[in-house]
Order: sequence, then structure tokens, then C-alpha cells
Amino acid sequence: MAKRKEVTPATIGALADFAELPLKPGREAVINATLEAWIKDANELSRKMSAEKYRNLAPATVFTHPGETEEGG
Amino acid sequence: MGKAAKELLELSLAQAARFVKTGEVSPVDLVGASLERIKAVNDRLSAYISVFEDEARKVAKAAETMIMAGHDLGPLHGIPVALKDNLAVKGFRTTAGSKILKDWIPDHDATVTERLRRAGAIFVGKLNMHEFAWGGTSDNPHYGAVRNPWDTERFPAGSSGGSGVAVAARTCYGAIGTDTGGSIRLPSAINGVVGIRPTYGRVSNHGIIPLAWSMDTAGPMTRTVEDCAIMFNAIAGHDPNDASTSRTPVVDYTEALNRGVKGLRIGVVPGYFFHHLQPPVRDAVKAALKTLEGLGADVVDVNIENIHGNISAQLTIEAAEPSTYHQRWLREQPENYGADVRSLLEIGEMLLATHYLQAQRYRTLLRQEFIEAFKKVDVFICPTLPFTATKVGAMKVVIENAVEEDMLSAIMQFTGVPSLTGLPSLNVPCGFDPDGLPVGMQIIGRPFDEALLFRMGAAFQSVTDFHKRAPDL
Repeated sequence: MAKRKEVTPATIGALADFAELPLKPGREAVINATLEAWIKDANELSRKMSAEKYRNLAPATVFTHPGETEEGG
Repeated sequence: MGKAAKELLELSLAQAARFVKTGEVSPVDLVGASLERIKAVNDRLSAYISVFEDEARKVAKAAETMIMAGHDLGPLHGIPVALKDNLAVKGFRTTAGSKILKDWIPDHDATVTERLRRAGAIFVGKLNMHEFAWGGTSDNPHYGAVRNPWDTERFPAGSSGGSGVAVAARTCYGAIGTDTGGSIRLPSAINGVVGIRPTYGRVSNHGIIPLAWSMDTAGPMTRTVEDCAIMFNAIAGHDPNDASTSRTPVVDYTEALNRGVKGLRIGVVPGYFFHHLQPPVRDAVKAALKTLEGLGADVVDVNIENIHGNISAQLTIEAAEPSTYHQRWLREQPENYGADVRSLLEIGEMLLATHYLQAQRYRTLLRQEFIEAFKKVDVFICPTLPFTATKVGAMKVVIENAVEEDMLSAIMQFTGVPSLTGLPSLNVPCGFDPDGLPVGMQIIGRPFDEALLFRMGAAFQSVTDFHKRAPDL
């Protein structure tokens, strides 16, 4: 994966704009450090989960059918 | 408060329920003692948002009349309990600890509320919490910071901080909390009480203000494991109003409490379960394992290859789902959120869909590894959290080497695992640090095997007295 630039107030402004979330002035600076830390860790987890050995894993959000799971529903 | 009332409040829920049935104690006296205790301590603890004084006294009088007429409502007949303020109670304000819902009066009971009512419980009030359950400190900007009864300068953890404090401070015999990333187990550990996060789908979430739909659960918090099992009996089971609940049959969760732990296998994950801990926490939980070994259990190292990474997955999911629920309010009235919750909700809008779904794929992986590991062991045991109570208002915590860490990530080191995998887990008090602050251990079990967790917890409490100690208020 390409090397990522650090999260900045400008990045946050752009993300808020994409989400149509009107941030009050100064909010970008408040959340900057936490978002940077969380994005870094989330990207690391994404890299891990993109490995070939996990290709067939479905997310835990899919519908399952009682009686057919490993615990017997 | 007179001596009699004090003695009543020291009874366990099970003892009080037995005395009500035999007519030795009246529900009127139990509720009276509970309400007086709330009056005496709530100014210092901020555990209750609402107290149902008139209603509780009326219901207690009716409960007394019924029992005298030989009409027993059930295992909780006449027992004062309290509910976290994100559970709907028909006709009574339910705030979720927020300003946004400060005037919301539900027109229905949550299923848990209704089931407790049907089992005879009497509600004495609604409990303070971290705003909308999104956080682990219960430092609530709208209803006051909840304070730890063992040291009122310390935090009670959260988000069900009021529930943990209300039980530890002997203001009620049991409380309901909700748990997404640790919100029952953390305040149970920090306040020295028992609390269970059920298997996902074992207890209905109908009528509870959601935090993160794919991980939300509700469960009881009490002083003893037996009390917890009695309350769990009343609330567990399928609910047609909540499609996420399971039809797997319930059992009598009190039935196996006295069977002991001989021959049971306890798993410990090397390199994770006893890594990165404050020393008193490590020592207390290791001593608890020795106690259980002394009772005949075997402790076995079991590797969970991908356990690292769980905190990020937890935070990603717990950020994205609440931000979805709160999307409209965050745009219409952001100023009505407390500072920390507002920031977390904004952050949750900025994670990518791929982050969220990779975290959900990680859950599948972690669950598979635990299900496989349960072929070798019956339960896992680890600390519930790596530290004891910090000062009220602290956003950082020091666990080792004088390094300050972010509270939210640090507090979920162990509770995130059951939350992500949907497995049940029970906090049991297992010691105190040198400052007299409680330490808890977390027992994690197979899906729908809550009875085994209660059995192990009860065996531990049968030979220890940590759960009998009371804070000096």
C-alpha cells in the first residue's frame, strides 16, 4: 500500500465535507490526534486482513442460518 | 439509617428474596432501606439520575399485600433494583445520560424492564452513565461525574458507572447495565461487583437506546454470582421484538452453582493475558487462578494467533455504528453533546467503509480461533482491565513504565475480545490494590454457556471474601 500522509485539519475538513458534516470552527484540531491514531491502526488491520490466507473470510455482518453454524444455532 | 435498615442492605439479593417469601422481611422495608440509602449517598456519588420514591413505595406496599395473601410474583418479588438510564421504562424519563433525550418519556417498557417487573422486581431509580454509553469513564457533563464508592476522588469506569456504584454502595440489590465494548464488566471490576456480558443474542436489546447494534448487550450487576444468576434467569431468552435474539433454549442459571470446578480447564493466552498490566492487577488475577487450581481446575496455555489487533477492530466498529445512529442529531444539535462524545461521533464519520468491514472480517477470524480453542479448554480467564481506578476526569492512564496512554484504548485491552466474538464473559471481584481499590477477573465462555461462568464464579466466591467487603462511605 502507498505511504499515507498524516491526518491534518485540512484532511479532516475534506472528510467532513464528503460526509456533509458541518464542523464548527476549531473542531478539526480537537479530533486530529485521535483520528490519526485510529486511522493508523485501522489501516494496519486492513493490511492484515487483506492477506491471501484470509481471502475467504466474510464479515461478521452477513446473515447466518440457525442450525447450520458451527455452534448448531 | 437505623441498624435494621443497614442489616437489610447487607443481605444478598438471594437472602432478601428468601426472607420476603417467608414473610420475615417486607418489601416495604427493603424499598424503604434502599431509598434512605440513596438519599444518604447519592449527593457524593451521582449514581442516580432519577429516583422513583413514590412509585417504588406504592409498588412495595402492593408487593407486601400480595405476599401476605400468598401470591408470589417470582424470584425477585419485592426486591429493589435499578436500571441504567438507557433502558426504557414506560411513563418515566429515560435520558441515556444525554441532554438530547433529557425530556424523553417512553410509551413502552424495554423487554428487560418488562421481564424484571414480571419477576416481581421493584424499580427504585434510573442510573447515571457515560453519555449515550459511548465511553468508559461515566464522567457525565449533564448529570454529574459518577464517583467510585471506594474512593470518591476516583472514577467508577463505564459506561454503566452508575450501575456498578449503586450496587457496590448498597443502594439496591442488583442493577442492569449494558455492554458494548466492556460497559458492564469494566464498572463491575472497578467497583468490586459481579457483572455479566451475555452471549450476543441471549438477552433482548428491545427498548434500549443503542450504541453499536452488532455488539450491544444488556446484563445484571450484583454483589454475588448467585444474585447475578437469579437476575439473569429473569431476563434471558428469545424476544420476538428483537430479531437478534436467539432461540437457543435457556437453562436455570442457578442450577449448577454448587458443582465446583474440579476437572474444568481454564485457558490463558500467553503473551497477552498477563502482559501490560499494573502489578497489583497481575498479582490478584494470578492468585485467583491459583485458588481455582486449588479447587481442582487445570490452567492451560492456549495460543490465539490473531488476538493482537482486537482493540483497533473494536474502536473502528464502536465508532462507525454510533455515528450512524447519531447522524441527524450530530448535524442538528452538536452543541448538546458532551465534548468527548461529540468528538468520537465526528471521528466515526471519517473512518472508511473498508476499515469497518475489515474489522468485521477480523471478528469472524477471532471468533473462529476462540471456537477452535474451546475444544481444548472450558473457559478463558484474564484480568477484566489492566489497571485500577484512576482519578475522576483523567483521560490518560499509566499502566507501566510511567507511560501515559489514551484511556479509551487502554481500558478495552481485555473486554474487547468477548465484545468482538459475541462470547459471554463474567467479571468476578478477585482482590484489591494497595490503595484498597478493587480488581476483577474476566471469565470468558463458549456461546450460550453462561451457566458455566456462573458455576466457576460461584466456586471462587465460596472460598474468598472479596465480594463481602463494603466501601466505607
